[in-house]
Amino acid sequence: MSQSVKYRADRRLNLGKFDNILNFAVIGLLAIGTLLVYAGTREWFRSYGLDPEYYLKRHSINIVIGVLLAYGTTLIDYRLLRAYTPIIWLAAVVGLVLVLIPGIGSEINGARAWIALPGGFQIQPAELAKIAIIVGIAMILADRDQVDQDPSDLDVLKALAISAVPILLIVAQPDLGTVLIISAAVVAMIGASGARAIWVVGLLLLGVVGVFTAVQTGAVNEYQVARLQSFVDPNADPQATGYQLRQSRITIGSGGLFGKGLFEGPQTNGRFVPEQQTDFIFTVAGEELGFVGGSLILFLYFLIFLRAFAICKRSSDLFGRLVCIGVIAWFGFQTFENIGMAMGLMPMTGVPLPFLSYGGSSMFANLIGIGLLQNVYARSR
Amino acid sequence: MNQDQIVQDRIRKVVAVLIILMMLFGLRLIEIQAIRAQEYVEKVDIELNKSATLLAPRGAIFDKNGVELARSISAINIAVDQTVVNDPINAAKVVAPILGLSESELIQNLTGQRRYVLIAKDVEPSKWRDVYAAITAYNIEILKTQEGISKRIGGFVPERSYIREYPNGKLSASLVGIINDQGVGASGIESSLNSILSGINGKYVYANGRGNIIPGSEQIRTEAKSGTSIRLTIDRDVQWVAQNAISQAVAAARAESGTVIVMDPRTGHILAQASAPTFDPNDSESITQNKLRNPSVQEVYEPGSIGKVITVAAALQEKLVTPDTVFTIPYSLKVAGETFRDHEKHPPQRLTTTGLLAVSSNTGSIKLGQSLGKDALYNYLKKFGIGENTNSKLPGESAGILHPVKDWSGTSLPTIAFGQGYSVTAMQATSVFATIANDGVRVKPTILAGLVDQTGKFTASEKSESIQVLSQQTAQSLRKMMESVVSPNGTAPSAAIDGYRVAGKTGTAERYNSNCGCYSGYTASFIGFAPADQPKYVVNVTIQDPKGMHWGGVLAGPVFKKVMSFVLQNERIKPTPVSETHLSLTEAALKSKILANKNSKKAGA
Repeated sequence: MSQSVKYRADRRLNLGKFDNILNFAVIGLLAIGTLLVYAGTREWFRSYGLDPEYYLKRHSINIVIGVLLAYGTTLIDYRLLRAYTPIIWLAAVVGLVLVLIPGIGSEINGARAWIALPGGFQIQPAELAKIAIIVGIAMILADRDQVDQDPSDLDVLKALAISAVPILLIVAQPDLGTVLIISAAVVAMIGASGARAIWVVGLLLLGVVGVFTAVQTGAVNEYQVARLQSFVDPNADPQATGYQLRQSRITIGSGGLFGKGLFEGPQTNGRFVPEQQTDFIFTVAGEELGFVGGSLILFLYFLIFLRAFAICKRSSDLFGRLVCIGVIAWFGFQTFENIGMAMGLMPMTGVPLPFLSYGGSSMFANLIGIGLLQNVYARSR
Repeated sequence: MNQDQIVQDRIRKVVAVLIILMMLFGLRLIEIQAIRAQEYVEKVDIELNKSATLLAPRGAIFDKNGVELARSISAINIAVDQTVVNDPINAAKVVAPILGLSESELIQNLTGQRRYVLIAKDVEPSKWRDVYAAITAYNIEILKTQEGISKRIGGFVPERSYIREYPNGKLSASLVGIINDQGVGASGIESSLNSILSGINGKYVYANGRGNIIPGSEQIRTEAKSGTSIRLTIDRDVQWVAQNAISQAVAAARAESGTVIVMDPRTGHILAQASAPTFDPNDSESITQNKLRNPSVQEVYEPGSIGKVITVAAALQEKLVTPDTVFTIPYSLKVAGETFRDHEKHPPQRLTTTGLLAVSSNTGSIKLGQSLGKDALYNYLKKFGIGENTNSKLPGESAGILHPVKDWSGTSLPTIAFGQGYSVTAMQATSVFATIANDGVRVKPTILAGLVDQTGKFTASEKSESIQVLSQQTAQSLRKMMESVVSPNGTAPSAAIDGYRVAGKTGTAERYNSNCGCYSGYTASFIGFAPADQPKYVVNVTIQDPKGMHWGGVLAGPVFKKVMSFVLQNERIKPTPVSETHLSLTEAALKSKILANKNSKKAGA
């Protein structure tokens, strides 16, 4: 009873309680992302006689909604979130099941990942599942009688069980990129929770074997195999997936030190790289803003990770720490996956770049993630 | 280590991994954007800046008054990049009806991996605007639906092109000619003056976005240089009359072909040159290889009686005879073992030189030829331009056939004297008469009045080369002699025009047929000029291989009359009083005239 009173008092928040360096980095990325989304779509839409600001407008709306969601996330004490976790998890699983039902879920680029809503909006349940899994695992691994006790193997198994259901549903879409990101978050959280190190090693091995068998048995779509193959040799199939990777690198490389200038990139304006407002947005930055812009973006991500770790260390309880670790692993893996793909360091998996890419569900999820970090920050020490 | 320490320790390890990864990414960025930047910039330039040919418009062809006989009008070729057509079925549904294409064929043309497929050639610019508007409207609608962006229509690329139009159609088809589908002149003036008419294609580059031209990115690297327009010496109205007249005559005589040439003898300018049968240059169905030829310069034939004019001219100029010199003309004459005959059987006649020409006597011409000798006859033929290209600027012009004297056989002199054993084009024959009309000065024929540059500035061609072939006096005598041809007693009374003095000569020559290596059929012709005292125009009508009646006077005379009457009226040439003094054709007529003259002198005295 006394605890609940304390939590309520904490609801009176002010911005001074937030980590403003984190806010600054996120706002910086959102601003850059808005310009890049605009730069990546305006000539394309204009060339079809359509509204050149179409994507700019929708992206801006997504940011506004996302920021409101993030603020909403900070209002309730994160420790209270535990109570809602089963509901969030269940909602995510229902969404992931719905998406697989033909007629409800719509298929884009061979993956059934979207639920269409009236008014041309779409939601991607897999993005919201990330949050459900992170909060869910944190709840299980932190929920112990004694503070000094490491999570038992049973706890780890429970954590794996609640993450396995959504992961398998996402495999069914299939969306390999998201599966890898969630897996990375799960492994990082289990590792950071103090569970036996053998779990971490075992899960990493399982991940490698899993990806390998998925490719071999055809559990993943042909196009995903092609993407992995073209990573090994981008020139193998210059018109299809190898083309994207090759064009992506050419586009970034041609930007040089200072870039061609915002809206001035000929490769971008010519849409040489497909999906340049979403998965390949880093190419727009590379071409138009050059090395200077690319480095700034990397630096802002670095800043976010450093602040996230600081919040993690500041946190007084394991639940808060695990949430932070989950969010860091998610952002980190997704960022590296995306930028690595654009620069030819990682295979192509088709995940959006946090805070920069166009896409509502992804934007909402990312900003809710930031909301979680600020929530932990605001209520630590 | 307590649990908190373990967690802190693991967080530190993750941070370390993160920093290493971050550095790796930074290094990669440096590699791509700094170290290898130039390499990528070059790759971009190759991929991005596609260059394409900027077609140059072809020069127009005008008549002497600036009426367009051929012109290039803007059109659009629509090409498709199949790799960016997202939805061939719906794209075809939108585009096919506008371009009048079959939907199923268009779907095939839109489906595949080819980067360039021409789907419509030479469409009007407004059609392309319709296509563009329809696509845009469709895309706006489709964008409102789910995944609209992946269903939008793309990949249609307009390219500048030109259509060649011939506003006068059949009227000047064999003269003006046509261009082939590569835009190169294939026949007529389009072919012979192709190098002037064709422009120099330019080059433009465009930014290429997955096969789509990025609007506004087109940059002209080399401006296309328009072709130079040309102004012909042709008068469209005269051409129209000539074309109709020859078409009718060729059809009526069921002839193989026919040609009319109207020339100004003082300048060599050709006012009209019509051929039949002809074709409609705007209707490719009507075009056959044979019709593309221009018989006036490509068809060679033995001139026959027309050639007798040269023989008589040479004899007059050499002062061997006068118009009144009297000959005994036998029906047949044996030379070098061969017997030559006149057209119609007759007892030996006493005819003047004028009479010889008027009745087109073969034996009389042989006698004149014999008195001239081989070399003199040959030299006059050369001076008249026989065996040499006229450089009229018409395509595929033949020089005709005239063998040098050393190759002549025993029968060459007599046959050449009456117009066989050598070949001419209708253009050369016209030039012979134009020389006589122009007081003995041969002005080389030309069809090209001058050039018109892009700004519309006209530069006249240099004056045609001229050669004195006959003296003015000889030319005058010949004209007078030839007036008798159209007299009621001559071979072509049908060519006479009321109110004007007309002179000319009929030709009815056996036609050498290269298919059988023998003579078969005839070349029927009439070449004349008016007014005979001061000739302004020469008209040549030549009809090849008529079926049935084949006399030049009967077939070609009326065509001459039709065309020449129109030219004289059109150019407002004043009627001339009828000549009072007729040359005598026979010895008898000559004697009675001399007697009458004496009597009138006595009476006057």
